[in-house]
Order: sequence, then C-alpha cells, then structure tokens
Amino acid sequence: MIISGSRLSKSFGHSIVLKEVNIECKAAEICGLLGVNGAGKTTLFKILLGLLTPDSGEIHCSSKGVKALGGIIEKPALYEYLSARENLKVFARIQGASSDKKDLDQYLENVGLETERKDAVRNYSTGMKQRLGIAIAMLNNPEVLILDEPFSGLDPMGIVQLRDLILDLAKNKGLAIIISSHIVEEIRLVSDRVYVINNGQIVKSGVTAEIIGQATLQHYLCAEHLKASTVLKEYQHTFLTETGALIEIGIEEMPRLMKRLAGEGIYLTSCTPRIDMYQLFRTAQ
Amino acid sequence: MIKALLWAEAYKLMKQSRTWYAIAAVFVLELIVLISAYYRGAAVIDILLNNLKESFYFEGDLLNGNLLIYLILNSLWFNFPLILMLVISGMITDEYKDGTLQTVMLQPVQKKWFILSKYIVATVFTVLMVLVLALSAFLFSYLIFGKSDLIVFIGKLNFFNAVEAETRLILAFLNGCISMIFFSLASLTFGVIFRDTLKTWIVSVLFLIVSNLLLKFDFKWELINKLFYAKLNDTWQYFFQYEIPWNIILRNNLLLVGYIVGFSAIGVVIFNKKDIG
Repeated sequence: MIISGSRLSKSFGHSIVLKEVNIECKAAEICGLLGVNGAGKTTLFKILLGLLTPDSGEIHCSSKGVKALGGIIEKPALYEYLSARENLKVFARIQGASSDKKDLDQYLENVGLETERKDAVRNYSTGMKQRLGIAIAMLNNPEVLILDEPFSGLDPMGIVQLRDLILDLAKNKGLAIIISSHIVEEIRLVSDRVYVINNGQIVKSGVTAEIIGQATLQHYLCAEHLKASTVLKEYQHTFLTETGALIEIGIEEMPRLMKRLAGEGIYLTSCTPRIDMYQLFRTAQ
Repeated sequence: MIKALLWAEAYKLMKQSRTWYAIAAVFVLELIVLISAYYRGAAVIDILLNNLKESFYFEGDLLNGNLLIYLILNSLWFNFPLILMLVISGMITDEYKDGTLQTVMLQPVQKKWFILSKYIVATVFTVLMVLVLALSAFLFSYLIFGKSDLIVFIGKLNFFNAVEAETRLILAFLNGCISMIFFSLASLTFGVIFRDTLKTWIVSVLFLIVSNLLLKFDFKWELINKLFYAKLNDTWQYFFQYEIPWNIILRNNLLLVGYIVGFSAIGVVIFNKKDIG
C-alpha cells in the first residue's frame, strides 16, 4: 500500500467526527470514499493530508518523493487575482519545483488548461479551477492524490472531463488516488474500491461494483410494449410511464430478466440501477 | 526555502490591487495637505493645525517645505499605520478567507518558515512605504514650498536652520519606521489570532486608537511611562528637541524592537500550533 491510515479518530470538543477509521490505497488504484454530508470525509482527508492532527491512529505513506501527497480539500483555493500560470509559479517556487515557463505550461497542458490565458483565475469556471487545483496538487509529482468532492459544482461536461483526467492520472501515470463524493454514480464510474463512511465510521469497504451492487435493489427499465410482458409480472413493479417501470430486482438477477424479456420480444432501451441509499450507508451486519 | 517564500509573499503583495490602493491613499493624503496649502495658503494650514496648536508655534514664512514635511509627519502618524495595518493584516486573513493557506499547507512547506516570511516581507514593505512617504514628502514640499528654517514648539520654541531641519526630519522618518513596523507586525499577529478579516481590522484599529490614547496618558508609575509600548511610539518627536536625547531614543527604540520581536514570536508560535483545517 502506498498510503494507509489506521485507527484514525478525531473529535472536535464533545463531537466525535471520526471513529477508528482504516483506509488504504495502492499505486494506480482509485479508492472512493462515499458518505453523506457531515459523515467525516473532509476531516479524514485533512488528517491524511496533514492539515489536522488525529487524536489517535497512524498514517503511513511509503512515497519517498519531495511531496508525498497532493490534494484538494472541498474546493480548489487559488490566488484569485493571479493568472493560472502565476498561481502555478507561486506554488512551484515555494516547494522548490521548477517554475520555468516550459514546465509550467506542461502542467497546464496535462490538465487541459490553455497556456495562453493571462487573465486572473477569478474569471475561470469551477471546472477550470478544479483542473488548476489538480495541476498545483501535481507539482513535484506526488505518488498519491487526495481529492475531496472534486465533482461538486461542475457542469456535466466538466464532470466528464475531470473524470477522464482522474482516470488518466491513475491508470496511465500510476498515481494512487483517493476521491470522496456524496454522488454515488461518480464514485461508481471512477473508483476500483470504495469505502462507505457514516457518522465518522467506515461502515463498508470493498470492490466498488460489489458494494454498490449490494445496495442496488431496484432497476428502472424502459422498453416498447413493456406492459405486455408476462415475465415482468413475476416481479414487484410499478409503471412510472407508458414504457418505463421500476422493478424490485437486485443486480445479480438482472441479466436473467433481460434475457427472458428478450425471449418475449421485448428489448430494453434503457436499464438504470436504483441504489438504495439507506442500504448503502447502513452499517454492515 | 525561505528565499522562495519571501519572493512569493512579495510577489503576492505587489500583485494585489489593495496594495496599490493603499500606496495611492498615502499619496492622496499627502497631496491633500500640500495642494490645500498651495492654493489656500496659511488659512488652511491654520485649520489643519487646529488640533496641533498646543504643540506647535509657527512664525515667519509659514509655508516652507520643512514645515510642510513636519506637518505631513504629524498628520500621517495615525492614518499611515492604519492603512499599513489594513494591508498587512490582509496578508494572512485573506489566506484564511480564500482557503489558499490550506493549499499552501498541502505543499511541502514548513509552517514556521511560511509565517516567518510573512513577517519579514511585512517589515520590508513597511520600511519601503515609510521611505516612499518620506521621499515624496521631501520632493513635493521642497518643490512647491522651497526650503527654509523650521520652528517647532515642544515644551519650548526650537529653531532649526534649513540644513539641520532636513537632517532631523530624515532621522524622524527613519525612527518612525520602527513604530510603523510595530503596528504592522502587531496587525499580522492579530490576523493569525483572529483569522477573520473584519475582526482583525476592528481589533487592529482599536489597538491603534487605544495606543494613541495611551500615548497621551500619564501613568502614575514612572516605570510604566518609560517601558509601556504606547509611550514609545512618539520617540521621533525627540529629534525636534534642541539637544537630541540620544540615550532616551536608543532605549525607547530597543524596547520597541523588543515589543516587535515579542508580538511576532507570539504570532509565529500560535500559527505553528494551530491546525489549519
């Protein structure tokens, strides 16, 4: 494991924010941290990044570089009155990284930002700021990247671009990435493994598809003549539109149902899993 | 690392529009005094000096350059630190407000060097601001009003010829630097403690007002009158006594430097101990 935190606990006054949390991530892996607002995600990340001191527990990072970890907490905080390159220049110089124009431009290009823009970053969109934040986090080539709610506030195009960037950093550049979100779908699309945190405790962890699959108890199916299906009558279902129905069915049974529907001449035009949030965030028995 | 941090702090400070507004504000205050004097003559000077009449006595050519510099020196001694405190405290409170402090601390940067660089850059900026103020005061005053003898009243009437007046005014500005550094760095420490911009401004302004009030306050114990920080901030006035009391000036300045180091040390220690998140 390139980074691991074990038995991490943190309280603010009488409020216990983290309870004996264990988390780990290896190179080229993306670990998701799922939790509702106030679950303890940001506190855990601040501890991993050294911004907060845990009351107890240990963090181990095997990275030997100048900068072991790079990260963004909550939102990319930048010097709004400086341009993107000037921001990079300031952050590069204070940590002894190269601040040559060529190198800075390379960092900007890596995250898909224009190198020609000279205006202050206050004019940038949230997505562009996120990208610049990642470029700053990537200075001095850390082996671990910790991103707290990177998708929040982004438009759909921004989400896709950022998702591709994160996947590229992990799969092609070998970074260990821990990413938090309260949007299950985003975690499902980017992470290999997932930790589910609730009330400061990790309540579930494992392969993302399995964990989310266990909490997928319904599917929304759309197809022409779906109402005519006899197979569908075997499952508890509710028609929400003329061609769309919500079926009480787990992820493991879906392929069989699809096959049987096809046997009736009914071909699905869409199949959307519905995740039961209560099931997902409930403590494992 | 400290070299790069000093560069970064200076770069950020000079890139902020607020810094330039502050410099402009100093010039505006300075120019208002000079332009008013130029166009409306002695009458305006009398109005401007209304509050200072107990300390001043003017005779002969009222509108000479040295008198104007002395006037600027007096009238800016409250406004100037006020402007400085607003700019300097922003060096840290803005970082808290915008979250950039968090971004900096996510880089391999040591907290103590980071905050120390802010104190050093704040000191250099303050000295430069006083120099800019002094240079412009001399330049505009001599250009518009010429150079002549200076007459001041500090307990008694003191007359200085033009050359000596110039030397004493330069020394007063240089000495005033220490006071200005004290207020600047105190505001930075307040920023470290309170984090919030508005709270820091209120506390800094209150501190400045209270310090000015206490300056005139005569304490029962002579030791307090000698050692208390507020009593050390008008040391520059000693340069307008006929015989310059160098011992008192040296003692006061050493004490004030001690206060500066103390205030800065408090800021550095608190910053180092507090979590950023």
